[in-house]
Amino acid sequence: MASVAFSKIEKNFGSTKVLHGISLEIADGEFMVLVGPSGCGKSTLLRMLAGLEDITGGEIAIDGRVVNDVDSKDRDIAMVFQSYALYPHLTVGDNMGFSLRLRSEKKELIQNRVEQAAKILNLGPYLHRFPRELSGGQRQRVAMGRAIVRDPKVFLFDEPLSNLDAKLRVAMRAEIKALHQRLKTTTVYVTHDQVEAMTMADRIAVMNDGRIEQLGRPLELYDRPANLFVAQFIGSPAMNVFDGIYKNNSVEALGAHWPVPSGTSVQEGQSVKYGIRPVHFDLGTGGITGEVVVVEPMGSETELVVKVGDQSLVIVTHGRSSAGPGDKLSLAPNAKHAHLFDVASGLRL
Amino acid sequence: MNRRLLSEAKLWLVAIPVLLWTLIPIYHIFLFSISTKDSAFSGRLWPEHPTLRNFGTVFKQEHFYLHHFWNQIWNSLWIAVAAGAITLAIATCAAFSISRLRVRGGRTVMNAALFTYFIPAAFLAVPMYKAMGTYGLLNSRWSLVLAMVTIAAPYAIWVLKQASDKLPWELDEAARIDGATPMQLFRLVYLPLMVPSLVAIFTYALLLTWNEYLYAFLLLSHENTIPLAVGLGHFLASDDSPWEILMATALVYGLPPAAIYYAFRRYMVGGLTSGAVKA
Repeated sequence: MASVAFSKIEKNFGSTKVLHGISLEIADGEFMVLVGPSGCGKSTLLRMLAGLEDITGGEIAIDGRVVNDVDSKDRDIAMVFQSYALYPHLTVGDNMGFSLRLRSEKKELIQNRVEQAAKILNLGPYLHRFPRELSGGQRQRVAMGRAIVRDPKVFLFDEPLSNLDAKLRVAMRAEIKALHQRLKTTTVYVTHDQVEAMTMADRIAVMNDGRIEQLGRPLELYDRPANLFVAQFIGSPAMNVFDGIYKNNSVEALGAHWPVPSGTSVQEGQSVKYGIRPVHFDLGTGGITGEVVVVEPMGSETELVVKVGDQSLVIVTHGRSSAGPGDKLSLAPNAKHAHLFDVASGLRL
Repeated sequence: MNRRLLSEAKLWLVAIPVLLWTLIPIYHIFLFSISTKDSAFSGRLWPEHPTLRNFGTVFKQEHFYLHHFWNQIWNSLWIAVAAGAITLAIATCAAFSISRLRVRGGRTVMNAALFTYFIPAAFLAVPMYKAMGTYGLLNSRWSLVLAMVTIAAPYAIWVLKQASDKLPWELDEAARIDGATPMQLFRLVYLPLMVPSLVAIFTYALLLTWNEYLYAFLLLSHENTIPLAVGLGHFLASDDSPWEILMATALVYGLPPAAIYYAFRRYMVGGLTSGAVKA
């Protein structure tokens, strides 16, 4: 087990700068998720930690040792790839024991470790099969098994669940989390799926355009997003955001008055972005009226698209809703959960 | 139903002429080889008195032109296997370093390999003869082996490089993280996955050499060192060639390539990499 420290990491591909000085400390045993849209640099950062990409600037340290010039094989890390990257000509057991075989470990030791890992991952019956004979979920488990057998300092996951179907993804998510709780190995996990990030992480680094937008615990990011990007990236469905003007301790927008949290210090008459999550509305009361456009019943909750002024807002209500398209609906935004952002910088006010 | 029938009929319309085009000369050879000397040119589709005596003559080396038959077929085999093996070794190493290790200058090597095909092999015959003469290799089987390696290697490098490029890159990365050195990567991951292409390229170089006439004729002239292809050519030296025996020999000469191709045909199609990564 080990800590990982990125310090002012920069990366250029030719003349394109993809990482702009990233600094990030990951504690021993922590489950860190790097999340962001495609092309934000999260995978590149992970691959630099793995030693698969050169470091243009800055330093990466594992357990206090700078590894910039250390070969992948000497970094004592294990990586799980999105495409599994199993050796197709080797059986499941040989795949898992491959790293130990390279280190010329004894046969009994390899077999022991492989069997242990197979037990953890329920792969026992498949040890003599080839990867092509396994389902997607099983292959993904073999890839994880290969990492576990190494007993490395750090686990790296590069979008490991993207190739699985939705149901399997949820199951594997829980498995990976349980595995981490059991092994307590420092883990860096890259995903573009904010649900994965929220459910699995100890801490999340939200990345965009080669920078870390915010670093924090999942619920911190949800409750107090530092800027508009994080506000709209974290949470599903995404936060409703619209322009307004701050007047008399509320925001005037879409032809209505929107309440703000107490203690807001914004200048009278200032233009702001007003943000409120779909779940933070009370329906049937309040002074704001909207027209229902779409109703999406999910069973346990109902998603409504409601038009207020010229803006469509998404509202999620628990249980069933009797509203139908064209109905008028009165809304009460929950002031405590409203967010204000600066128009120009997008920063939280 | 009708449409399927129609498209199948079109296929047959192409296939049958192609098949005949290929098989008639072979049938012709076969016909000659089982005919007696007198009936060889009778123009029948099947000889009146088919005989296997011609083959007996060949195997027992009972004809003036066939005194070194076994020696020459051994030469053919020796030269073809050696050229195949050396070509394979060179091309595999080149393809691995260019495609997987991405060594500097790899592109230049690839372009140079392609460029060699702008010069017809026949143009190089005389320079090659001079070069082999300088090295003192004339009349040694090695001269033909080396000449065939120079001819086969560029194409072999191209094919193997293309095949290498298709191997998932993540496998190399996974192996590197697992702790593999480049040699271990080559031996434990690259070679096993490349087997189909390696067999195909080995077969290609082997057959190319087996069928070579011009260079063999030029570089080797002693009866004990020439391959059978050149030996067959000697039949035409006389005014009254023994066609039935020539054809019997040719048929024997044509069997090993057919056997090799048949044995390795499943490697000509890939499929070993299935299951490595999600397609």
